[in-house]
Amino acid sequence: MAEELKNKTTGHHGEGGHDGHGKGKKAKRRHHIDASIKPGSAKYVWASISHNRGAQFGMIFIVLIIGLSLLSPYICRYEYSATDFAAMKAWPSFKHLFGTDDLGRDILSRVLYGARYTLVIGILSTVLSAILGIIMGAVAGYFGGAVDSCLMRFLDLFQAFPSLVLAMAFCAVFGTGVDKCILALGITGIPGFARLMRANILRIRNMEYIESATTINCPTWKIIARHIIPNAISPIIVEIAMSISRNGLASSSLSFLGLGVQEPKPEWGQMLASTRNYIRDFPYMVIIPGIFIVLTVLSFNLLGDAFRDALDPNLKD
Amino acid sequence: MAKTRENFFGIRHLTVKYHSGNSIIHAVNDVSLELKAGETLGLVGETGAGKTTIAKSILRILPESSVESVEGDIWFEGRQILDMNDKELQALRGKSISMIFQDPMTALNPVKTVVSQIAEGYRQHQNCSKAEANKRAIEMLEMVGIGADRAEEYPHQFSGGMKQRVVIALALACSPQLLLADEPTTALDVTIQAQVLDLIRDLRNKLGTAMILITHDLGVVAEVCDKVAVIYAGRIIEQGTLQDIYDHPTHPYTCGLFGALPDLDKDVERLSPIEGLPPDPSVIREHCDFMERCPYACGKCKKFNNHMIEMTPGHMVRCWKANEEE
Amino acid sequence: MIRYVVKRLLIMIPTLLAVGIIMFTLMNFVPGDPAQLALGSGVHTEAEIEAKRVALGLDRPFVVRLGEYITNIFTKFDFGKSLIDGTDIKWELMKRFPHTAKIAIFSIVLTVVVGLPLGIYTAVHANSAGDRVSLFVTLLFDCMPSFWTALMLVLLFSLKLKWFPSSGAKSLIYFVLPTIANSLGGLAGFTRQVRASMLEVVQSDYVTTARSKGLPEREVIYGHALPNALIPILTVIGMRFGSMLGGATIIEVVFSVPGIGQYLVNSINNRDYNACTGGIIFIAFTFALVMLLTDLLYAFVDPRIKAQYVSSNKKKVK
Repeated sequence: MAEELKNKTTGHHGEGGHDGHGKGKKAKRRHHIDASIKPGSAKYVWASISHNRGAQFGMIFIVLIIGLSLLSPYICRYEYSATDFAAMKAWPSFKHLFGTDDLGRDILSRVLYGARYTLVIGILSTVLSAILGIIMGAVAGYFGGAVDSCLMRFLDLFQAFPSLVLAMAFCAVFGTGVDKCILALGITGIPGFARLMRANILRIRNMEYIESATTINCPTWKIIARHIIPNAISPIIVEIAMSISRNGLASSSLSFLGLGVQEPKPEWGQMLASTRNYIRDFPYMVIIPGIFIVLTVLSFNLLGDAFRDALDPNLKD
Repeated sequence: MAKTRENFFGIRHLTVKYHSGNSIIHAVNDVSLELKAGETLGLVGETGAGKTTIAKSILRILPESSVESVEGDIWFEGRQILDMNDKELQALRGKSISMIFQDPMTALNPVKTVVSQIAEGYRQHQNCSKAEANKRAIEMLEMVGIGADRAEEYPHQFSGGMKQRVVIALALACSPQLLLADEPTTALDVTIQAQVLDLIRDLRNKLGTAMILITHDLGVVAEVCDKVAVIYAGRIIEQGTLQDIYDHPTHPYTCGLFGALPDLDKDVERLSPIEGLPPDPSVIREHCDFMERCPYACGKCKKFNNHMIEMTPGHMVRCWKANEEE
Repeated sequence: MIRYVVKRLLIMIPTLLAVGIIMFTLMNFVPGDPAQLALGSGVHTEAEIEAKRVALGLDRPFVVRLGEYITNIFTKFDFGKSLIDGTDIKWELMKRFPHTAKIAIFSIVLTVVVGLPLGIYTAVHANSAGDRVSLFVTLLFDCMPSFWTALMLVLLFSLKLKWFPSSGAKSLIYFVLPTIANSLGGLAGFTRQVRASMLEVVQSDYVTTARSKGLPEREVIYGHALPNALIPILTVIGMRFGSMLGGATIIEVVFSVPGIGQYLVNSINNRDYNACTGGIIFIAFTFALVMLLTDLLYAFVDPRIKAQYVSSNKKKVK
């Protein structure tokens, strides 16, 4: 009972499309979607997301930052690692739009190039934890019994640590670098996906249509592939977006602590760590990379929220 | 609408719309009802016909977030309920008009003892001490057959039938003049249903409370009610006294409801269900609401504008054929 | 109720054991020779290293060392000695713990004191202007890395306005900025959780029942809806406290607070694996205790869970 309630509240902390007991005002309508599109269809989800202003911002920013990051070696006037001792600690100007750091490196080039680390770590670590977590959760939920308790007790151990501390521990074991960081965050994220998947499977497993599929001798694998996974996918999609946002944040935290991506790679958290001593006189060095972290994390978060709203008809009941 | 205020309770031209996604749901369309003190009206209809919405509009406890508009008049002892302010409403709710909810499983607060849930309403209205309110609450519990020793327990410790008794005790604690019973037996086991129904009937007789009994069970109506209103797609399609409806059902839908009822006296092979589904509530129709499902439908039904036809005094039907037959 | 507490405590033990075993094992497989580390930089002969290894007890089999480590922790609360400077890790942790605890406790208090009323307000006035502003601001805070928030607070309140000191832990005023920096992200998430929980409860049938009794709206919201919304929120507070404990590590680095987090980060960067293992296990123990307390409180507040244990007691008596 307590477990269920816990999962319910911690599983998603977003806001539903509901209203409280307001003072006689009308609720905001959902986005204006053609009534002929069936809720739950891929078309509906797309229509809903593309009408969501937050999601529009998120998608545009993500596409923009990925594009700029990939193109940055060609479009930036300075190489991200090129030092210029004649222009050290230069305030933002037309020459250096975001200024230069303590070694005279152009911050704009560094920020744009550095986007790839946050994105790659955020996305790949999420892929890792999603794949492993979904498999473990599905196995635990479907087979139940001893398999379930063994897997869940094992995952409980992960949750004996605050997640950042756990990620730090893995970093200590694996060492530093982009790949190690992905591994550390990826493993840390497994229990979240496993629990979500397990809860989903349990919810769906007890529905009557699964029972009826079982009674007509539908093979187990077919039940899982045809009936359970398609129905469990919506909350997973939301969780993936949220996890990318979380892991992007965590990767810059680890790098800030010197446990993630190292110099000379311009990871945003690492940039903050290396320039934070100059905050008094050159605050732009610290403000600018931070804003990029916030915007990137926010974009994925908004996208996740939009997915949740769009998939809401499926999430209900 | 200053008319017919001499009556105890009435609804006139009540229309309730909800919004859902992009569409407007016409839940209740132009419903008018009247009730004398002590009288019992049965409100009969399928799920989704708008019965609960009517009851909740009376107490003004519709979920505000999804309500688009509530229009019409609801009066109680000469006062307009829809014009009341918060203070007046609070004084009315629970004291003059109270409601028994459909699902006893969710109608009680899980973290409060049952006695406190009954006592707080009583205390609110009677302005009495806590001890007095508790005493009254325990009396009420005993009246519905729950011992005082169980008063301090929490809802989860009661069975469904017991919970419904608590809900009934709660609704009757302040001796209201009007009781709205929203499918009080639907969520219960068949064996318990009869007990709860007997209980409601006995208490009504004892306390002289007027009642609107919402149900889809015609058998229940026959046992308890003086008057009947049959509701379909948010409209009352036939209303009259119990005898009017049971002895001379006129609207094809009403007849259909009786056809779908098992009759032990006749030797019928199969029950005859009403074919089809209720119409889309988001569309306002220019023709008879029941036309698509009506076995007697013809071209004239397309032009019927859903007006009421009075057959005998008090027996009203929303079907043009009613006129012809008489 | 006592049975429940005892049962929960017993369940905690294997978890803690497993945490200890896993951490020790993981750290054992970290590349690099602890003996070499303990000797410090410079060139050492094979014999010197071997002697150090014997001195550290590293020549013994892994299982023996593991058994000894776990026994020491559980019987003497002894985490061994630092590889770098040979200090007793237990005393180092105990000395530092009050700072970390202060940051975490102040943070959770700030979170609850601000987040709870804000969450309730925004749920009751859902879709109002205030609600929208709050949703937007909390979303933004949720996306801000705490170390950056911390740096921005330092920039504004200690460098520009000079209201609060930017580093150290000499008196309570030193904890103002660390507490705010550690809270903002969690505060935002917490407010949204309270709002969501409250919204769900406000729509439930028993709230309608309460309203139909003629109770004033204030009573309906605070007397009926809130207690139910708070039950799941209690667990959220426990979880939040855990992440505040973790978040404190980063905050301690920014504000140079000599807490456990700073110790942990330093020990990882110095490859002092004894200290690192000790620090992590210590945090896990604290976290486990907090979660236990939350669960106990939970059972105390929710009659449905409380009843499970009370009734099982009754049956035993009969």
